[in-house]
Amino acid sequence: MRPGAAAALLAALAAAALLADRLASVAAIAALLLVVCLLARSPQRRMYLLGAIVPGLALFVLWPLLSVEGFQVLWSGPSVPVIGTLDVTVEELWGAALNAARLIAVGLAFTAYALLLDHDELLAGVSVARRSALAAALATRLVPTLQRDALGLAEAVRGRGVAVEGLRGHARLLSPVVAGSLERALNLAEAMEARGFGRAGATRAPRPPWRGVDRLALGVAVAVVVAGVLWL
Amino acid sequence: MALTRVDQLSFTYGGATAPAVTDISFELAEGEVVALLGPSGSGKSTILRALAGLVPHFHGGTFRGCAVVDGRDTRTARPADLAGSVATVFQDPEDQVVMTIARNEVAFGLENVGVRPDEIWPRVERALAEVGARHLALRRTTELSGGELQRVCLAGALALRPTLLLLDEPTSQLDPDAAHVFLERVAATGANVVLSEQRVARALSVATRVLFVEDGRLLLDAPTDAAREWLAAHRPLYAEDMLFTDKATVPSDPVATLEELWFSYADRDPVLRGVSLEVRRGEIVTLEGPNGSGKSTLAKLAAGLLDPQRGVVRRFGRAGYLSQDPGRYLACERVVDEVALGVGGDAARALRALDEVGLGWAAKRHPRDLSSGERERLGLAAVLVGEPDLLVLDEPTRGVDPERKAELAHSIVRYAASGRGVLLATHDRSFPAARRVSLGGPRELGEARVAA
Repeated sequence: MRPGAAAALLAALAAAALLADRLASVAAIAALLLVVCLLARSPQRRMYLLGAIVPGLALFVLWPLLSVEGFQVLWSGPSVPVIGTLDVTVEELWGAALNAARLIAVGLAFTAYALLLDHDELLAGVSVARRSALAAALATRLVPTLQRDALGLAEAVRGRGVAVEGLRGHARLLSPVVAGSLERALNLAEAMEARGFGRAGATRAPRPPWRGVDRLALGVAVAVVVAGVLWL
Repeated sequence: MALTRVDQLSFTYGGATAPAVTDISFELAEGEVVALLGPSGSGKSTILRALAGLVPHFHGGTFRGCAVVDGRDTRTARPADLAGSVATVFQDPEDQVVMTIARNEVAFGLENVGVRPDEIWPRVERALAEVGARHLALRRTTELSGGELQRVCLAGALALRPTLLLLDEPTSQLDPDAAHVFLERVAATGANVVLSEQRVARALSVATRVLFVEDGRLLLDAPTDAAREWLAAHRPLYAEDMLFTDKATVPSDPVATLEELWFSYADRDPVLRGVSLEVRRGEIVTLEGPNGSGKSTLAKLAAGLLDPQRGVVRRFGRAGYLSQDPGRYLACERVVDEVALGVGGDAARALRALDEVGLGWAAKRHPRDLSSGERERLGLAAVLVGEPDLLVLDEPTRGVDPERKAELAHSIVRYAASGRGVLLATHDRSFPAARRVSLGGPRELGEARVAA
């Protein structure tokens, strides 16, 4: 399957997860996407999966505490200034599970896109806003680069006998990693200019044409979105 | 007829107080391979940038004189317009890769300069074959090693069939054999080549002419043979590969023993299979071997940054580790804090360590305001300040000029002589060592053998 068709399918699944109202439907979409993600053999798989799942779990924990919904109270907690009484209802738990599953599904769709698709070919297929598409492709590639920089930095600090532990230990690495990525961005911009990026008259290397299976995937993608709106 | 002409070139970067280069003039004739030599920060990269048009167009600053490349004045021709005639391979391959798949990376430049679509893939394949990287064509660029990326970047430059090829330390991440083959292939392209390189012997082996720059001024412009004589007389450290001798004390107790270590990354084949090694106090041990042979992995195991899957590591004291490219991995906002980080914030000790590497003046500056060479020294100070019993250094001479390399070698010999052990993973065979341990290629690993 061509990357464009696969990307359309992933986008459709993410859209269906956002549009669907039933927890079972959203959970099934998330499970399907998780299976797809597990097909990736990339060394970055674990990091991407954590990035996709942890925010969803955090949302599941916070949602019932921050929302005020429903009457079937399961737990009633203390009163907190500004937020009010911390209580958890069945309806809030249900809403938390639905929204957490939506967030996880979207994260997993991005993970599959990042780990399994050929972004270069996607870029080549874009005929409008090519610069924006390239920026998106570079941003996707930035994730593993940032991960490598963060690991390198943590290793350098540990190499001096300083432990990098806990949230606080890792948080102090954030600023230097961002500073390093800005430096990288400047170097990359220089290299791109030297390689003729932005020059008039650019051509594109020929890519294989779409086949029947790719068109079918596009049709399925549309059907998935429609199903998400009407039935899921 | 001169293909490239630089006339009275002076350039000061925006915000800088001193010019990076001053009154540089030279001409390049067709087919010349020019070695551009000089200490770190002497202006070599600025000259390459001027030839690519990046100075003044990309880097703001004050530009005087002119550079004419392939008949075009770089003051009016932008770098993107020069691309194709001029191709540049920058120092750090990780900072110049745009695409996800290696062969698309090579095609990127061809697409930009408007090569006919039906010509692009054949040229990509030929260029990858020329640099011995055909097998990398479909690999993801994020999963390639530094040496592999350097080859892909060179393929991207060669595919353009440039008339002027600019190479900024293109072999810094390659082992000696791979670097030799790499440069021979570059010389065989027939393009006009300007090669900035800190491994001087390597550059002189392919160069037809030498330019030597110091403090932004061109001190020498001569054919290679004459240049060798000049270097021997005026800059002896550049004249030949230094062969340092280890005058450390007689090795005594072990500071680390590694027994039957096995290690593999994720689901891959083992990088190390049953490797044993001992480092004693007072000695310097180097780990040598081709790219991918497991030098860095063994160094990290010795320093305690990785745990072996099988085998035992014993350390008798504290270990300190200096990573490859330490200038990239700086964690603090001030130079003095960067060094003090390893000693619980002890600024007095940090200042002493900075003085030892000649960076006392920069204590209050931001680490990223320092030049690449200064950052390397800062990284060394940040590790040495803790006075580890076992000092582990990973490729400490990468991108380091001969004079700094000599200083580094003396520092390390002194450090070992003070009763500590030093373990170096390096491609640099000229570095001092009591023992040299050779690791095989990634597919022929079985044991570490003591080579000398």
